[in-house]
Amino acid sequence: MSLNVMAYCIYLVITTLIILWVGRILHKNGRVFMLNLMQGNTHFTDTLNNILLVAYYLFNMGYALLIVTTWNRVETTAELIASLSSNLGLLILILAVTHYFNLWLVHYLSHKNAIIHS
Amino acid sequence: MNTTNFTVIAYLVYLPVALLLTYYVAHSLFKNSLVYMRDIFNGREDIAHATNTLFRIGFYLLNIGFALYILKIHRFLYNIQHTIETLSYKVGGFSIYLGVMLFFNLYLFFRGKRVSKQKREEYKMLQQTQGNRG
Repeated sequence: MSLNVMAYCIYLVITTLIILWVGRILHKNGRVFMLNLMQGNTHFTDTLNNILLVAYYLFNMGYALLIVTTWNRVETTAELIASLSSNLGLLILILAVTHYFNLWLVHYLSHKNAIIHS
Repeated sequence: MNTTNFTVIAYLVYLPVALLLTYYVAHSLFKNSLVYMRDIFNGREDIAHATNTLFRIGFYLLNIGFALYILKIHRFLYNIQHTIETLSYKVGGFSIYLGVMLFFNLYLFFRGKRVSKQKREEYKMLQQTQGNRG
């Protein structure tokens, strides 16, 4: 097995675990905010929450798979660790930026809502 | 020892140190931030907990992502001394970055606390004026 194949295997396992884990936590903790935005409409909130979770999985898994196509050639163990780590790091950084944007969006929308309904 | 060994050793030392450092900082920051969250959200426990968790996830993602992203050592490591110097530069830089992020999060908490206090006072004043009118 070439080192590239090994890198892809490790990369895909770790990314899938991170994406699933983060998605589950966001799904569980985001519900309260959405309930707030929808003025307590539980049915609508749960439906929208599930749709958003699926969209999140599709978007991130798609992006994670796209990274594999631009992987450098790996020849030594040091290169294996370095390339794995930089690609994983980039993916996690993108997740972080999206996450902070979403937090800001929730804050912004709830603020707007409060102005409309006051 | 050949040259790859030094780089691999450096990576294997850097990774656990950076990850444990991030874990330690996030753990101590977000254990104590719950008090601020309760104050900001007027004691609404569910929203305070959810916000705290979301901020913690954001902190972990941002810092672990950054730690992994800067792992690559571009220099050629030829002896132990050089390896220790390079490692120390990396870990030190990452610690300073973590410290800046810690202060940024603290700033967010204090700002949220100030804004919610201001809002509470405005609300109280509004109620008082309405009470005077009624």
